[in-house]
Amino acid sequence: MLRAALTIAKKDIYSEIRTKQVLGTMIIFAGLVILVLSFAFDPANNTTKAVIPGAVWIIIVFSGILGLNRSLVSEQRNDTMHGLLVAPMDASSIYLGKFMANFSMILIVEIVAIPFLFLLFDFKMTGSILYFILVLFVGSFGFVAIGTFLAALASNSKSSEMLLPLLLFPMTSPVLIGVTQATKIILTNMEKLPNAIAWMQLVAAYDVIFFVLCFILIEYVLEV
Amino acid sequence: MGFMYAAYSVVWIIIFGYMLLIGKRHNSLKKDIEFLKQLDK
Amino acid sequence: MSMNLERETAILPIEEVVQIKTSMLTKVLYAGMVVSMLAAFYFIFMYAEVEKTMGVVQKIFYMHVPSAWVAFLAFFVTFVFSILFLIKRKRIFDTYAYVSAEIGVVFTAIVLTTGPIWAKSSWNTWWAWEPRLTTTLILFFLFMAYLMVRQMDGVWDKKARLAAVFGIIGFADVPIVFFAIRWWQSKFHPIVFGDGPSQQGGGIAPSMLVALLVTIAAFTFLYAYLLHKGVSFENMKIKVGHFKEKLRERLEN
Repeated sequence: MLRAALTIAKKDIYSEIRTKQVLGTMIIFAGLVILVLSFAFDPANNTTKAVIPGAVWIIIVFSGILGLNRSLVSEQRNDTMHGLLVAPMDASSIYLGKFMANFSMILIVEIVAIPFLFLLFDFKMTGSILYFILVLFVGSFGFVAIGTFLAALASNSKSSEMLLPLLLFPMTSPVLIGVTQATKIILTNMEKLPNAIAWMQLVAAYDVIFFVLCFILIEYVLEV
Repeated sequence: MGFMYAAYSVVWIIIFGYMLLIGKRHNSLKKDIEFLKQLDK
Repeated sequence: MSMNLERETAILPIEEVVQIKTSMLTKVLYAGMVVSMLAAFYFIFMYAEVEKTMGVVQKIFYMHVPSAWVAFLAFFVTFVFSILFLIKRKRIFDTYAYVSAEIGVVFTAIVLTTGPIWAKSSWNTWWAWEPRLTTTLILFFLFMAYLMVRQMDGVWDKKARLAAVFGIIGFADVPIVFFAIRWWQSKFHPIVFGDGPSQQGGGIAPSMLVALLVTIAAFTFLYAYLLHKGVSFENMKIKVGHFKEKLRERLEN
């Protein structure tokens, strides 16, 4: 099962490396979001520092949605989804594979976009990079887990780009709450680290619960 | 005090509004059925 | 040929297909609903005492809390019937889930309108990021998402299946959302486990409790009545749809 999943992940990533289309779009979109945020909030002002933790996650969410949507909708073209379903593997492998591909892509976007954000907003991080990376990891994991699942669900609709955000935002609110609180503490206020760790535990619990749930329920979504 | 009246009226406006909506659906379904009965004849 | 056609259509009498009759259950639910509502109003306004600090405005509580109870009950019912549908694949389960979600939206709307009215009157602010109100807001969006999935283009069983899956994970999300928001907000108000807005030192006055319970019962009757009517209506609509399909096929031949 793991091998099948890795095969799918590799296929998605290779097709992405070939065209670089989606990753490029995601990164450019992230850059544009940062630009809009810098118009909305004055970067020179010191109080804008408070906005940065939220901004990090806004960027991740919005570019993530682009990537997630495409990863499942592209299977509607040429009906490749049927090909995947007929192949001798579980629906769960498809989910796992797509999840891994999407997760790697969002990590790449984060690596590029977040330093750019810090640059533009002249943000000096007074916290621990290690914990920041950890929180990004945990948060993106949950977001991509439920996101891949809901993208598969939404891809059945003609208006999937509109449906996916509608489904995704309410479902991921615990992640977003936990992760922005944790990021705020980690980036600016390291004395409250135990709180941040508590938040990350909440998000980690969410990750586990929903990863397992999605793993089980994906076969109902991907039925022929 | 006025708040309480506002709240209670909002509640019942919403509930009756919903019942009106259901009533409208009922009526259009009834019209449909009447039309189909006509066709049958 | 035309004689054949006439005879065929006569075999499909629509009167038998669609019967608008009021069953016993409908009458019972209607009666129960009316009686309990009247009782509730008596209890709210005559029996329950007036709250010391907030005054008469506190009576909004008797509409707000039972509506929240019904909203969550409705989503729970959607959750249960979603599971049943995925296992058994009978259309009636999907119908129950769908109607329950629609009613849930109505009651969630009530909670989200009475909440701010109450907040404005007692804390002078239109919105409070209080755990239960915020969870209800997210519940509202989850309901909306469920209804959007249910209204996709396509055959009914695909929509029903996808909506059922969403109903399941959506409901699983609600407790997590609640705890997340509760932790988030505990910076500002100390969290008393099982607190209620009319707490006087952690307890609720007995007369208020009675009024609250009666109103909860009344709203539950209202929910059951709306659910029952909604489901019978949907069933009728489905039958009419089938009849139209058959008619279309006949006409095409």
